[in-house]
Amino acid sequence: MDPGRVSLEQVNDAVSSLPAPTRAPFGERSFKYLLVGPAIFVLLLIGVFPLVYLLIVSFQSITMTEVNTDFAGAANYTQLFADARLWQALLHTLIITAIALPLELVLGLAMAQLFLDRLPGRAIFIALLVLPVVVSPIVSGATWSLMFNHRFGPINQIIGWFAGRETILLWSINPGLVYPAIIAAEVWQWTPFMFLLLLAALGNVDRSQLEAAAIDGARWWRTFSRIVLPAIAPVMTVAILIRGLDLFRLFDIVWALTQGGPGTMTETISVFTYVKGFQQFETSYTAAVALLVVVLLSMVVMYLLRKMELAR
Amino acid sequence: MADLRISALHKYYGPVHAVRGIDLEIPAGEFTVLVGPSGCGKSTLLRTIAGLEDADKGTIEIGGTVVNHLPPRSRDIAMVFQNYALYPYMRVFDNIAFGLRSRNTPKNEIEPRVTRAAKMLAIDHLLQRYPRELSGGQLQRVAIGRAVVRSARLYLFDEPLSNLDAQLRDEMRSEIKRLHQELGKTMIYVTHDQVEAMTMADRIVLLRDGNIEQAGAPLDLFEHPVSRYVAGFLGSPAMNFVDARLVGSDGALKVALNDGSQLALPPKRAEKLADRRDQSVTLGVRPEHISRAGQGETRAGLARHSAVIELLQPTGSRTYATFTFGGTRAIAELQAHDVSAVNERVELSIDMNRAILIDPATNRVFA
Amino acid sequence: MTTLARRRAVLALRIAAAVALTLVFMFPIYWLFMISFKTAGEIYAFPPKWYPGQFNLDTYRVLFKDGDATTVGNSLIVAFFSTLLAMFLGFICAYSLARFSTGGKHLANWIVSQRMIPPIAVVFPIFLLYVFFGLVDTYIGVILLYTAFNLPYVIWMMRGYILDVPRALEESALVDGCTRWQVIWRVVLPMCRAGLAATTIFTFVFAWNDFIFALVLTRTEVATYTVQITHYFGGQSNFWGKISAMSVLGTLPIFIVTAFMQRYFVRGISLGAVKG
Repeated sequence: MDPGRVSLEQVNDAVSSLPAPTRAPFGERSFKYLLVGPAIFVLLLIGVFPLVYLLIVSFQSITMTEVNTDFAGAANYTQLFADARLWQALLHTLIITAIALPLELVLGLAMAQLFLDRLPGRAIFIALLVLPVVVSPIVSGATWSLMFNHRFGPINQIIGWFAGRETILLWSINPGLVYPAIIAAEVWQWTPFMFLLLLAALGNVDRSQLEAAAIDGARWWRTFSRIVLPAIAPVMTVAILIRGLDLFRLFDIVWALTQGGPGTMTETISVFTYVKGFQQFETSYTAAVALLVVVLLSMVVMYLLRKMELAR
Repeated sequence: MADLRISALHKYYGPVHAVRGIDLEIPAGEFTVLVGPSGCGKSTLLRTIAGLEDADKGTIEIGGTVVNHLPPRSRDIAMVFQNYALYPYMRVFDNIAFGLRSRNTPKNEIEPRVTRAAKMLAIDHLLQRYPRELSGGQLQRVAIGRAVVRSARLYLFDEPLSNLDAQLRDEMRSEIKRLHQELGKTMIYVTHDQVEAMTMADRIVLLRDGNIEQAGAPLDLFEHPVSRYVAGFLGSPAMNFVDARLVGSDGALKVALNDGSQLALPPKRAEKLADRRDQSVTLGVRPEHISRAGQGETRAGLARHSAVIELLQPTGSRTYATFTFGGTRAIAELQAHDVSAVNERVELSIDMNRAILIDPATNRVFA
Repeated sequence: MTTLARRRAVLALRIAAAVALTLVFMFPIYWLFMISFKTAGEIYAFPPKWYPGQFNLDTYRVLFKDGDATTVGNSLIVAFFSTLLAMFLGFICAYSLARFSTGGKHLANWIVSQRMIPPIAVVFPIFLLYVFFGLVDTYIGVILLYTAFNLPYVIWMMRGYILDVPRALEESALVDGCTRWQVIWRVVLPMCRAGLAATTIFTFVFAWNDFIFALVLTRTEVATYTVQITHYFGGQSNFWGKISAMSVLGTLPIFIVTAFMQRYFVRGISLGAVKG
């Protein structure tokens, strides 16, 4: 230990070697509950109550035309399993996630690697690259809607330059183009997030391991795949979890670009739920759908979390 | 009146019984050192006295008042932590003044009191600095200053010198001792370092596994330990322990070692131990009581022993010589010029007046 | 090529790549801002011009005149108060979790799981509830929801930061005369300043940029700028000028805040990975 200076880590090591108090001393026992009380209250209000309400309503029969609060059995749930549009919505969501997530990851990793070492103006570059993340997703969607506009948008213009002739692609209507459009907007907005996360992770890789590998004669790819990737794996996992969850809930960008169209081609599960609940007012059915979404999500998350715990 | 009285104190950490029924009374103005190896319960005891931990059973009285249910700030105590616990975002002056401000001391009193405490600790020129600008020794002085400025009844020190290098530690030891003389307050000091305990304490309380093994004046524990634990803890290098047997006829008891050699006990001691003949014992001899035998000199109680030196560790004025003693490795503290080379065979003189005899079954000292 | 020359070449390439990337990522933002300064005639010109003929503020004037710009004010009110509430409640809750392990693993896990609930599942029953209590299109209603939605994040992040504060600091303050409540605000809070700033920014930006909750729970009184933007989506024709101007009005404040707090924002994301 450095005789003069004590670092925060050393302090914490010393303190953490002391067993933590098993009980809060002195009448702080009630105090500690007082501290968590308000927060828990708000969370219960907004977290538990809705789920309970959903459960109840989903077993009733409330639609735009009738309000029947009698127990309607599992009618909504059977309808749910037979509803092709619902499962397609889930499929759409999955497709978008499966394409956008790896893209963001790889691109973000590449960018992080690029900016890892010193570069003139690095701070400015990073400051600018962060901006897409703080833009509202709806603004992002609106902006790309603008950009993809078939007449006034620059995208078509640029493609036209390469193609040599006037290009009028209907990005928000052409079935073959809507997915690329949505994915483009999504990747544009969130790659910088991955980039920042991975930049921090790359920065924390043990330098001496890299140096040892260099001395041993390992080429770039070998070092990267054998040392760097395992070292940043925990952060990548967290990143994938966070972004994966967000992608599953995708609403704003789709709403701005296509409103789920053409038809229901780009309807994600969130869009589907919104339409059913707030446009068609099939309250009970929507409740069942919402509950299904929560259950599905919880299962996936719990499965992943358990896997992560085991991996640790 | 005792400034601190602890009765039948118990403290559990989950299943671990950290403090097992301790009774302790500390008179006003005394400097008491709680000492022992890691895990013996000394820090737990201190923190329980402070109120940072709850006692599970027993009572704690400070100045005659039972304080078990009082929070730390109401116990009239001040504490110095091992890792200084200074607020990095406040200047030294504000760090020291923190306690006074928390108790709503009138503003015009704060400045003189802080300055006085700082002068006492020779840090008055650092009052406007931030902790990150100070060295370890200076930081510790600030921490002590923060405790001293409050004029509490009881001062608690939790291993304050553990993070300092050896030289600084020596310096700070005298500082704290001087402070105690100047202030005359009751101080309880926790450490694992037996040198600190010996040099600073009016009274040592040696702990072991949550119990008080022995308590008393430092020299008391040093010269009259009650158990092998105490004997082996105090003193550096540690006492040598050898398995042996008491043999001999009336009035002439000898300690027989495994290697066949025998060490005669002085008659005064042999008298008292007649009924222990033929019992196994553990012999304890401090390195400083083993010297090179002078020519022809025989004082009563000095037993001769021939040994081959295996290792030498010179420190300047003394040399520590390792040799095999009754089958065990032992150390003798010799004068620097007494021995010159390894593998040299020398005649050692062991002071059997000062040696102790331990019952191997109970590890208690019986003679 | 000598090593020095190679290094220079690599550096040049990296700079070129960095510039190219920045241009690509900045381009949509540039386009958005640029559109908002065009006249209607310029916007609908074909082929599209990449820069406005002149710096035209007409669209903005219209937005202010019509009162649409006040929606940014709504966003501010809602984001500000929900962030304040979430940070306050979340901080003390996090302290209790960090120091006293209140509720043990179960409470901690439950709080984390709340973060994973998809908004659409929440907003629907909340809407029904709000209709019942007359909370639709009220400030309180929206603030309450944003607070609740941000709480798990705040609690989780602040818990991590509080755990990093050495316990001895708090114990020293307790001995010196502070109550636990004083310790929380006078000792722990200052030590968490960096983490606090990062978490506050994230919480604020989330509330500011939210769309779906605002869409469902506001009507005319409390409409935030995100909702207002969608009012300009038409079936066949969109009022691109207004869309972009409104977007700029809502985005510019956040850009300014991020520029100032850039350090904390970046740190927030990176540390979020470690603690998440």
